Amino acid sequence: MSLPFLRTHCGTVGARMWRDLGLAVLVLLSAAVESNSTSPPGKPVLLSCRSPEKETFTCWWEPGSDGGLPTTYRLYYERERLEGVHECPDYWSAGSNSCFFNKTHTLIWVDYYLTVVASNALGNATSDIFKMDVMEIMKPNVPENVTLLVVETEDSPYLHIRWEHPRNTDTESGWVTIKYELRIKQEKNNKWKEYMSGTQSHFSLYSIAPGGVYTVQVRCKLDHGSWSEWTNSTNVKVPNYVQNERSFWILVATLSAIPFMAAMCILIVKRENVKQCVLPPVPGPKIRGVDFHLLMSGQSEDSTNALIINQNFPLIVGWKDQMEEYLIVTENDIGPPSDASHCQKRKKSLIIPAGFCSDWEIQCKSTHIQNDCAGGTKNETGNFPKNNKSLSGESLSYMEPSKLQKQQCLGQNFVNTEATDPSPLNYDNAVKPFTNSGYVDIRKHVENTQEVNVKQVDYSRVEDVNGDNVFILNNKNLAFNSSGYMDFQRQEEKLSEDYSRVKEVGSNNVVVLQIQDMSADTKNPHATGAHKMGVCTELINSEYIDTIPAPPLM
Amino acid sequence: MARFWCAVLILACLELSTRVGTAPICSYGQAGCHTPSLADIFDRVIQQSSRMHGISSDLHSEFEQYFFPSKNLIGKPKCHTHGIVTPADKENAQRLGREQLTEVILRLLGAWGDPLLQLYRSMSQDQNQDFNHYSSNKALEISDMVHELRDGVAKMAEKMKLSGVLGNTVGYISPEGLVPSSSFSFYKHGELNSMDHHDLLYCFRRDSNKIKNYLQILKCTTLPGLDC
Repeated sequence: MSLPFLRTHCGTVGARMWRDLGLAVLVLLSAAVESNSTSPPGKPVLLSCRSPEKETFTCWWEPGSDGGLPTTYRLYYERERLEGVHECPDYWSAGSNSCFFNKTHTLIWVDYYLTVVASNALGNATSDIFKMDVMEIMKPNVPENVTLLVVETEDSPYLHIRWEHPRNTDTESGWVTIKYELRIKQEKNNKWKEYMSGTQSHFSLYSIAPGGVYTVQVRCKLDHGSWSEWTNSTNVKVPNYVQNERSFWILVATLSAIPFMAAMCILIVKRENVKQCVLPPVPGPKIRGVDFHLLMSGQSEDSTNALIINQNFPLIVGWKDQMEEYLIVTENDIGPPSDASHCQKRKKSLIIPAGFCSDWEIQCKSTHIQNDCAGGTKNETGNFPKNNKSLSGESLSYMEPSKLQKQQCLGQNFVNTEATDPSPLNYDNAVKPFTNSGYVDIRKHVENTQEVNVKQVDYSRVEDVNGDNVFILNNKNLAFNSSGYMDFQRQEEKLSEDYSRVKEVGSNNVVVLQIQDMSADTKNPHATGAHKMGVCTELINSEYIDTIPAPPLM
Repeated sequence: MARFWCAVLILACLELSTRVGTAPICSYGQAGCHTPSLADIFDRVIQQSSRMHGISSDLHSEFEQYFFPSKNLIGKPKCHTHGIVTPADKENAQRLGREQLTEVILRLLGAWGDPLLQLYRSMSQDQNQDFNHYSSNKALEISDMVHELRDGVAKMAEKMKLSGVLGNTVGYISPEGLVPSSSFSFYKHGELNSMDHHDLLYCFRRDSNKIKNYLQILKCTTLPGLDC
């Protein structure tokens, strides 16, 4: 029973033994191998060279594997302007794996070609050639003795920082130019602020915060070389000093700024009022009833019309006085016009100018007027006498508009817009003069016209009426405008002025009036001779008979 | 129209006033001129040489970057100024004395006028796109600077002689006398290739550093002051 057990047990024990034996053999072998493997050294590598003051320099290398044997390293160099290969003069001053070249062995502006050779019993290994010029490898030591000082002046304290040049650099002969740089950090901030200091070995920092702790570091460089390391940090604490005075003024300024700002806001908000107060508007010139812009826009017709129309002539007052001054020009022989009634009524009626008629849809423009009481029915409504009325034998000087009555239209004022025949000869046929009398209304223009260039219209009183002719003798106030218009008052409507021109005085004492546009009138030459009233005989052909537009119906 | 004339008047007045305000610097010491002091001249000259060296350094490193990025060892360029004996360390430089130092400076400056011009021309004609316009402008700049600097240093030497600081052994050195013309053939006439460009820049970088350093030594031995 125990036999198989024994056998397995023996088996495991044997395996273990074999295993251990194998291990031991392996260990022995490896030990032997190790102790036997030596090789030539690995290739060293030249790391860098450095000159702290431009008078000496040091080079470092890194050794490769030493191959298990003691290895020596030698540095050889060749140099421009120097024959042969030379060995490093000093292996120890700068530490292990380094070579130090002192002043006698250092030349600037010449190339050095360095190699390091590692050698042991089995062989050598040579590094790559390292070419350098002392001019390129300059890196100074750190500056020394950095001191910080808080200088308290009246206005504000500042920080004064001093240091010294690194010990071995000779800055006085001009051989090297040293430049400094420093960086400052406040305790709370983690950010450094850097400043260049040039060749000065001191620096002042203004506007420092009282109560703050400042940390300063300095470094330097030679000529165009590399920067040195930073010095160790130096700290200083700025004492809290009393700033009462300044804070007092700040408080005062703030407090006074508030009402100032408020005042400004109010001013700005109420700027309109302020403007009114400070710069009151200057009233510009103004003409009552005239639209300045209309005037400026240059529509002369309308504007002059407006000028005239908008004048509030005291029509009523003046008119009343002159209501009786009518001159009715009639033709005795001719039968009464069909509208005889109309004509008859006109004893005291005003001669209603054609303008009035326009109110009743009579266009007051026609080529001629026909003195036809009856004929002018074309456009007339009830009250209107015929347009074609011609003065019989007389010439009318003007018409007077009646504000009150505009029913009657005397023929002479009216324009027959639909004159049947505009030929001047027409009148002969169509003339049916009034029977009795025609009024020629000479209105005395009251001096109530405004300052506008209203045409001064004056009326003359008819002194005498001859049977055939009308003589207007009284010309005292007669004043015509330059164009010879006798201008009547215009009402508020924008009625164009209608002037009738006496076209011709016929043989039968018929005055043919020609009513045209004002514009047309202006173009027509005026015979000015007759405008100065008084010479009645010249009331021919060139008289303008002003047709007054119809006043508005009451 | 009136405004135009007004503006013209104002401009004329301004120009006159500015003219009157500044004192012109005269090189011949005329009366009424503000001649710069020796210290000023030194400062200017040193600044100029420093700038010149900086630009040539930049050009050289650009060149190395573009054309020979991987190599550390390019060869052993021989500069055409190797014939000029220059002090290579501090003691030698200080031992040399002001007159000789000045002479060395002038020689160096004189030797570089033509080669730099040649370099600029060659670079600007270079069809190689790597050489951009900016680089050839730099070459022109240093070429101009060399000429200016030479004039400046000559004036400085004159002034030093006048003030007795410098002995009379320094004569005016003509460019031909400085460098034997054989060294001009050092560089190929006609087209320079990029190797030549590189060599030229390498040599000039070194020489401009020498010039700057010598000027500084000269200044600090002549006028020891704050900056030294």
